[in-house]
Amino acid sequence: METLRQILSPDFLLRNSIYTSVIIGFSCPLVGVFFVMRRLVFMGVALPQISSTGVAIALSLPMWLGFNLASHGSNSVHTLAFIGSITFTLTAILVLAFLERRGHGHPDGRLGTAYVMAASLSILLLSKNPYGEIGWLDMLKGDIIAISNFDLVLTAATLTLVLAALGLFHKELLLVSFDRELAIILGKNVVFWDILLYLLIGLTVSMAVLSIGPLTAFGFLLIPALMAHLFAHNMRQFTVLASLTGGVVAFLGFWLAYQYDFPVGPTDVVVLGVLYAIAWIAARWLSDFTASSNSKWL
Amino acid sequence: MNETLITLDNLSIGYNNQAVLSGISFALVRAGFTAIVGTNGSGKSTLLKTILGLLPPLGGRISTASQSARLIFGYVPQFTHFDSIYLLSAFEVALMGTYGRVRPGFFIPHSERDFTHECLSAVGVDELARKRFAELSGGQKQRVLIARALATRPDVLVLDEPTAGVDRGATHAVMEHLSRICEEVKISVLLVTHDFAAVRQHAGQVVWLYESDVFVGSAQELLTPELMAKMFERVSTPGDRGIY
Repeated sequence: METLRQILSPDFLLRNSIYTSVIIGFSCPLVGVFFVMRRLVFMGVALPQISSTGVAIALSLPMWLGFNLASHGSNSVHTLAFIGSITFTLTAILVLAFLERRGHGHPDGRLGTAYVMAASLSILLLSKNPYGEIGWLDMLKGDIIAISNFDLVLTAATLTLVLAALGLFHKELLLVSFDRELAIILGKNVVFWDILLYLLIGLTVSMAVLSIGPLTAFGFLLIPALMAHLFAHNMRQFTVLASLTGGVVAFLGFWLAYQYDFPVGPTDVVVLGVLYAIAWIAARWLSDFTASSNSKWL
Repeated sequence: MNETLITLDNLSIGYNNQAVLSGISFALVRAGFTAIVGTNGSGKSTLLKTILGLLPPLGGRISTASQSARLIFGYVPQFTHFDSIYLLSAFEVALMGTYGRVRPGFFIPHSERDFTHECLSAVGVDELARKRFAELSGGQKQRVLIARALATRPDVLVLDEPTAGVDRGATHAVMEHLSRICEEVKISVLLVTHDFAAVRQHAGQVVWLYESDVFVGSAQELLTPELMAKMFERVSTPGDRGIY
């Protein structure tokens, strides 16, 4: 309880880290819902990793060009990392979506290859980058320790924009996901709505990867949405439940990590995994219980 | 004489510049009921998608009655087309028919919601409005999809095998609803089906696709026992092209 009191204190040293963690916990499942509905789980694995490769390349670029990145402020580093992340994420999602729409080849194979290539490339680039050892590798592993006010504001502003767009255009995004043919017949520009959805996914993934790393970002993108799908009865419940689960687990994970001195990102993912297993068993039990209750009445 | 809504003139259809069928010419009139029949792979769905604008025609032309205003299509795909992972109620699925009239970023007005309930009532499934779409029976889903198509306020109602996978009783109910809607709302109905009994009972015009041939006529002209026997002989012996 003492740890909880410390975390909730406005003077808590790592308050920006916990704020960022919770904001991302609430936001990632909102786009994760679309990954689950469009059955793009593998893309949910590959994109954060590709995003982290974008960070690695962006951070290596100054070294290749002969600039000393250490002499610039952390805000410049973060902005550069964000540009790398969003560029790679958007490019990857658009290329992968285009190839999937063409219907040739093996989508799972492409995503798997993109994932392992991106992961390997990130490690290779950072191993050859002297700045990689002074924190960036930790950032990619999901250690949310030093989040500046600038990082927090950037994350909050970006994810507020994503949330507003998802709320405002929910019916269009749902229509093109559920029934693309009807959307075309109704005169909707399906390419525009697809690109908007990918842009929102790209922004969320980029911010999440920069703050909590690719592994944790993947966890928050998919596991809360999968858990919520077990219990929700409609789309609103699905979205709200997934977002609440992500936000609460982000807080719980941070609390446990702080209490037991674990890295935050992996702690979050383990908590999500354990809760998913419990939720799955509970959902099965509920389903069996409902079925047996109904059969008694027949 | 009913108003002509769409005229297909020497149309060629297919995928990736490979023609499946050519020389298709017929017209759809307001309050008319047209059935497209044919064997699997004969090009029925391709023709439907070309008329709907989902596929570009490879040749010929499709002209509509009004050049200034766009014709509105109400499309009813097969119910198996939808992924059950979406947690949508029957009402939410039907409501999608109104999305064409609601601008992006705007809430759906109450008038459109009320109209959607009317459409569900018109096909006899308003009591299922709050039920999950994925959990409905095949016949119930099909009627919800017809309600969705009606919610678009269509000029032409286009249905792709609306009674496929649906039991006999539900098939009869769906066809009766369609026939009544066609007469009451004065819209044109175009459907793809394998159900010859329903075609004979309801369709005023039949488009029969067989291999690369297209036959157009009334149900009385095309669905005679002699012609159908000849056609099924050809189906059972595909090597023999025969004379039609």
